[in-house]
Amino acid sequence: MSYKQIFRYILLIIVALWTLGPVVWMISLSLKPPTEWYSANIIPKNLILDNYINLFNSSVPIGGTYFMTSIAEAITVPYINSLIVASTSTIFAILVGFCTAYGVSRYRAGGTFTLFFTLLTRMLPGATFVAPLLVYYSTFKLIDTHIALILLYTAVTLTYAIWILKGYIDEIPPEWEEAALLEGAAPWTVITHVTFPLIRGGILASALFIFILNWTEFLFALVLSVTKAITLPVQISLYASAVGRMYGSQAACGLIATIPMVILGYTIQRYLVTGFTFGRVR
Amino acid sequence: MVFKKIIDWLRQPKNFGKILMMPSSFILNLVLIIPFSILIYLSFTNYIPARGIEWWRSDIVGLTNFIKVIGDERFLWALLRTIIFVFTVVPIEFLLGLGIALLFLGNFKGKKIFTSIILYPMMVPWITVGLAFHLLFLDFGPINSILLKPIFGEATISWFRDPLLAFLTVILADVWQWTPLMFLILYSGLVAVPERLIEAAKVLGASETQILRRIRLPLIKPLIIVALIIRSLEAFKVFDTIFIMTGAGGPGTATETISCYIYKLSIQYSNLSYASAASLIIMIMIALVTRVAIKPLAVKPE
Repeated sequence: MSYKQIFRYILLIIVALWTLGPVVWMISLSLKPPTEWYSANIIPKNLILDNYINLFNSSVPIGGTYFMTSIAEAITVPYINSLIVASTSTIFAILVGFCTAYGVSRYRAGGTFTLFFTLLTRMLPGATFVAPLLVYYSTFKLIDTHIALILLYTAVTLTYAIWILKGYIDEIPPEWEEAALLEGAAPWTVITHVTFPLIRGGILASALFIFILNWTEFLFALVLSVTKAITLPVQISLYASAVGRMYGSQAACGLIATIPMVILGYTIQRYLVTGFTFGRVR
Repeated sequence: MVFKKIIDWLRQPKNFGKILMMPSSFILNLVLIIPFSILIYLSFTNYIPARGIEWWRSDIVGLTNFIKVIGDERFLWALLRTIIFVFTVVPIEFLLGLGIALLFLGNFKGKKIFTSIILYPMMVPWITVGLAFHLLFLDFGPINSILLKPIFGEATISWFRDPLLAFLTVILADVWQWTPLMFLILYSGLVAVPERLIEAAKVLGASETQILRRIRLPLIKPLIIVALIIRSLEAFKVFDTIFIMTGAGGPGTATETISCYIYKLSIQYSNLSYASAASLIIMIMIALVTRVAIKPLAVKPE
């Protein structure tokens, strides 16, 4: 091995340590009993799973009976809420986004305005929409409902659905669809039988990408849910701001929210860039 | 009669494109454009929910809110702080990302594993990133007890109580989280540079640094600009990590970004009119920036 290679590996290991450090500490903390939370050892002396089990068990005081700091709700309901909200709004965003992308790509419908507008919604800070959304949704008594979050997430992620899917549709030669039209197929049949099957991979990738975005969304969920529609990120923040410091459970909670993301994220690794840069990078 | 007309209209092939656009314009109108109109209306009223008057009955006070916002020192500081934040994290992330991308050029053993490790922060929910860094920088956390103990001895640093240090932890969290994206964008650009150009330069006797400066970087320049613009606009929105790490801006207002301030105005102080005016000013700013920035993003009118 040349000096250059050795130098490269040293740098790579430094980067890897920097990347994995915070995660390793969280894993370690989540496996420790409360007595060890304040010690510096990375490998727990007594390895326990209580922190995880307690998350799903609302009657158990967090931190075990030993510390008895406070009692938090089980994360079962937030977890299910997150699943419902994230998956429903993903399906909506993909369906609506597909129609729009197809219209823009094939019929030049909507003009440039749709594309500009959707891009702009992506660039505005979410916090600027908090006040009007609060007023709007409370006028229609939609605060703390799933439908409020689903509608909002659909609208917010529509940008990604349109931009990513448009890239895929643009790559299909229009002649293929025209051939089907000449054979006498209706426009809808062409979409469902020609276009849709051709971009199945793209649909799946963008769906997973949008699911990740919905799964992690925090600000809107924090503002628009109180108890019934609370999502996982909000629940994590509740743990984090609880009076009694329950570090083990916090770490466990954060890690549990990460698991689906990691699985999906590595599945669509190569599409992640496309999502953030709107197809400008191959 | 009306139904028949509608059905006839729907059946015409030339209207098919318009039909396709309907669902999205419905959703966008319902969820974004109506609230946006409410936002504009609210910013001209003196609506505060605690007063018990419905928002559509509140008095219209003209430009009072806007004048107050422009004179609000806390707002201006939050804006300045956010801009400083953006101009700190984005260059750091860019340079680190570029460095790591260069490190990954060429073949070596374990490339796949190292790539997976480096991309890991992209798969972590933002809220968990905040939590992880909060736990790291606690008084008895590993940064104090493992990394700094050998240097400073027993004395611990209270990261979240010192304004500058708290800001530093927030920056570190953001760098940890977003360097991988920079790396991924730049790396995918660098590997796309045609190998024959680099071979040709090598034959002509160019050094590695010359190849980088004269061939690789100029060729991926459009990509770099896109990456910087997108990251800057995203960094401007920072909220989740700060909310968890320093309770949306502590100590005092040392880490309070514009998102945090507007959030507090809307939720904690419940001054929705004032928050709307502040939001509108920020929106106009971002819209102007986006208009300028959109050119390099090459959104061609198609």
